[in-house]
Amino acid sequence: MKLVIDENRCKGCNLCTLVCPYRIFRPGTRANRKGVLVPELDRPERCTNCRLQGLYGRTLCGVCQLTCPDQAIGWVRERPYEPAKIEVEY
Amino acid sequence: MSFADWLRADRLPHIWCSGCSNGTILNCTLAAVEAEGWDPDRTVFVSGIGCSSRAPGYISTDSLHTTHGRALAFATGVKLADPSLNVVVFTGDGDLAAIGGNHFIHACRRNIDLTVVCMNNLIYGMTGGQGSPTTPIGALSTTTPYGASEPAFDLVALAVAAGANHVARWTAYHVRELERAVQTGLETPGLSFIEVRAGCPTNYGRKNRLREVTDLAEYFRTKSMLKAKFDRLVAEGRPVPSDAIVVGEFVRRSNPAMGVVP
Ligand SMILES: Cc1ncc(C[n+]2csc(CCOP(=O)(O)OP(=O)(O)O)c2C)c(N)n1
Ligand code: SF4
Ligand code: SF4
Repeated sequence: MKLVIDENRCKGCNLCTLVCPYRIFRPGTRANRKGVLVPELDRPERCTNCRLQGLYGRTLCGVCQLTCPDQAIGWVRERPYEPAKIEVEY
Repeated sequence: MSFADWLRADRLPHIWCSGCSNGTILNCTLAAVEAEGWDPDRTVFVSGIGCSSRAPGYISTDSLHTTHGRALAFATGVKLADPSLNVVVFTGDGDLAAIGGNHFIHACRRNIDLTVVCMNNLIYGMTGGQGSPTTPIGALSTTTPYGASEPAFDLVALAVAAGANHVARWTAYHVRELERAVQTGLETPGLSFIEVRAGCPTNYGRKNRLREVTDLAEYFRTKSMLKAKFDRLVAEGRPVPSDAIVVGEFVRRSNPAMGVVP
């Protein structure tokens, strides 16, 4: 799965930058078409749900999605699935 | 399926401000409903008036956006007309505890089989940040420019005393705990009341040195105290910070309830 932020919904509150255990979300620096500083994704392939959703068949972690007050965070299926080389930091 | 499937995508983005907790609470409630496996066609969301009360408008099921303070009265009607329906109420602190205060205590007394989620942002958000019955002493609002001087309602204590079968409090920072508390509420026959401390960066945060959305989240994280710890401190006679937000489950009982399918 691939982590995506819906730019049309995000209002740039930065709550996602606070809750992700991998700190994948970084405060945005460039304003989009609506003037919102949408967070940038730092190596999103580290996300638990990106890596393991397919294996377990359910959402794993997902705390950013539950927290995002603007329902802007989601995952899209990658086709074909490309296993990326992942370095997990502890 | 995920909670996102319960949303009316065509109505998004919603009107709530950037960082308003109402969106998070909506997510957690829908996640609980989804985890419970409820049928969208047999589920009704009811609300009164306020920012918080706009929530049902973003959900794809049937819903009622009623008059100010009357969400519980309408929800009682829905539930008694057809007790097989699942009814969830979204309400604000002003909607529930000010204009709707009497409906609140009597719904708890009757113990009607509803799940009530109160998005308590400590002020009237929609009308410009006036003080509400839950504004803490000393807090600044449009109508308390020198700091609120009246004691605030403890909504949880009120619901427990009035007879609700399940009562819990969490904050918008505690997303998983909140989801679980709402799910317990959905499963408990009788009235279930979940108070959620919500951040209103626009009308509360701006006046009370919590301007940044992340400051509000940090405030909830650091000021929250689990009920077990609070009880222990009280039992040992140790001091409890006056601004602690006591979170957790306060009551779960099985008193006779109204509107339950026999
Ligand atoms: C009978 C009536 N009185 C007053 C109002 C004005 N009014 C609209 S929203 C609101 C307060 C809402 O506050 P709250 O329930 O805390 O919700 P929030 O907006 O903070 O989520 C008031 C007083 C109204 N709409 N109807
Ligand atoms: S939590 Fe949601 S709305 Fe807020 S910055 Fe992150 S993606 Fe955007
Ligand atoms: S005014 Fe406050 S409660 Fe209303 S949408 Fe904005 S942040 Fe939320």
